[in-house]
Amino acid sequence: MGTWREVEHTADLAIWVCGCDLSDLFTSAAQAMMSLMARPDESAQPVTLGVCLDSYDLEALLVDWLNELLYLSERHNVVFTAIDIRRMEGTSLEAQLGGYPIARRLRGIKAATYHELEIERTAEGLCTQIVFDV
Amino acid sequence: MVRKQDFRKVTPYVWELPKDVDRRMRVPARVYASEKLFEQAFRDRSIEQLINVAMLPGIVRYAMAMPDIHQGYGFPIGGVAAFDYEQGIISPGGVGYDINCGVRMLASNLEYEEVEPYLEELASTLYHKCPSGVGGKGIIRLSWSELEAVLEEGASWACRKGYGDQEDLLRTEEGGCLPQARASAVPDRAKERGRPQLGSLGAGNHFLEIDIVDEVYDADVAEAFGLQLNRVVVQIHCGSRGLGHEVCTQYLRRLQDAPCRYSITVPDRELVAAPVESPEGQDYLAAMAAAANYAFANRQVLAYAVRLGFEDVLAGKVSNWALWQVYDVAHNIAKVESHMVEGKKKRLVVHRKGATRAFPPGHHDLPPIYQATGHPVLVPGSMGTASYVLVGTEQNLALTFGSTCHGAGRTMSRRAAARSARGEAVRGALRGQGIRVWARSMRGLAEEAPAAYKDVSLVVDAVAGAGIARKVARVRPIAVIKG
Repeated sequence: MGTWREVEHTADLAIWVCGCDLSDLFTSAAQAMMSLMARPDESAQPVTLGVCLDSYDLEALLVDWLNELLYLSERHNVVFTAIDIRRMEGTSLEAQLGGYPIARRLRGIKAATYHELEIERTAEGLCTQIVFDV
Repeated sequence: MVRKQDFRKVTPYVWELPKDVDRRMRVPARVYASEKLFEQAFRDRSIEQLINVAMLPGIVRYAMAMPDIHQGYGFPIGGVAAFDYEQGIISPGGVGYDINCGVRMLASNLEYEEVEPYLEELASTLYHKCPSGVGGKGIIRLSWSELEAVLEEGASWACRKGYGDQEDLLRTEEGGCLPQARASAVPDRAKERGRPQLGSLGAGNHFLEIDIVDEVYDADVAEAFGLQLNRVVVQIHCGSRGLGHEVCTQYLRRLQDAPCRYSITVPDRELVAAPVESPEGQDYLAAMAAAANYAFANRQVLAYAVRLGFEDVLAGKVSNWALWQVYDVAHNIAKVESHMVEGKKKRLVVHRKGATRAFPPGHHDLPPIYQATGHPVLVPGSMGTASYVLVGTEQNLALTFGSTCHGAGRTMSRRAAARSARGEAVRGALRGQGIRVWARSMRGLAEEAPAAYKDVSLVVDAVAGAGIARKVARVRPIAVIKG
């Protein structure tokens, strides 16, 4: 099970996120971003969406993945609470997302950036910093 | 790692790093700042980012930073860089996610004492008339065809629809419309996001503010700008909303392989770039211009809502409630401009990221009303502190391609700001200073507390000291509306 924590950043929002493998890392990053953005209305009708991405490299895949979730969240007014990455191969992934209408927005995130993003193996697992433009 | 002592002190406000400090640099790097603000720049990676910018192909003269420099994505915030149109590059990182984030100022003949009895009602009315907050929908829900028109016509679309007039357009940078815009270059996702958001402030550091002119430094220029002591003005600070963010995101994605294809070495992938004249470069220029036009239209619609609010509250109670436009400037943008370089006129793409255009008197791009003075340069401070109106100097074209600072810049993280005070306490403290605050998010308010920002007066004094802009007037807030 992945972990994440918010880290200091002067202008925007940053997290340090880790996972036991790439799928876990990407799942944890998505969960972190969603929990920083909004709270779900779990009494409402749930929403299910699929994602299919192919990117330039692994770091680009992570950025594209998070920005895809940002777009879908705004497009459907949904906060995703269930992230199921079905396939990760090379620089592509497929995922099923489950979520609920947004009950309360906590903060606006414009985009996930490439800034200081480098997926590396540490004692905590596969980790990276992610900076969000807010 | 580059240190302060690697820079040459050209003047007390100009610090230059020679290009031979790093053989990858194509031009020197310059920071326009007081010594104190220059030293602060070494606390984060902004100097490193400035040096990276100096490595980009086709860069002309210097990689520059204004006194409000701080760390950004790719370019530092407060960064200015001009690239040869034919030989150089264009980079989304040199514009930012919030394309044409900028400021519009409206002025009036209202004295503070006339407005004060109605201030609470006025602030409340503007809070309800001007949508704000995260994910907030705008005043206008556009059809697809209307959105395409906004992207290509900018503020003039809004004026054509009755949200303003020709006088507003004359007092807007580029007349509120960049000619390079092409709606077809804007990704459909960006259009989807933009359709419901026209006429909205957004959140974060965006705001709508009612101010009083509390100091005039240059009476003649202030008069030309329509600014008088003790009179009410309004500032609107916002950008291109989700549409602009998505344009930047999608083009950063599209350009990831461009450096490889065009043999451009980019030291930071947030600096991905393409030759201006490449298909990708032309598409980004067109999309960026379209997003900029959306932002001009956005501020035009909000200005209309502000005028309605003033009429609703003040008509029949004061002698003259009318608001006229002082100016509207962008501070995240790339512009195609003509500048003298080594005695020849050159077409350049000037990237201003957290920096503002400041063309001096006589410049050919100025509207007739501002030919004699130069156009107003609007520099907002943090919430609850002063903002400034500046004007460009004759020498700033040679120094900074006619550019200056854009605001205060943060010194404290959002986490630290939220930990140090609750939003309710910030609102109470500002109320104690006579400033009414209406905000949708108390957390957002805490994050935007004045203590989290640099002192904008130091930034403005530094640009004056560097000779790139002069102070015209100062305004202080009496009411703030935030998302």
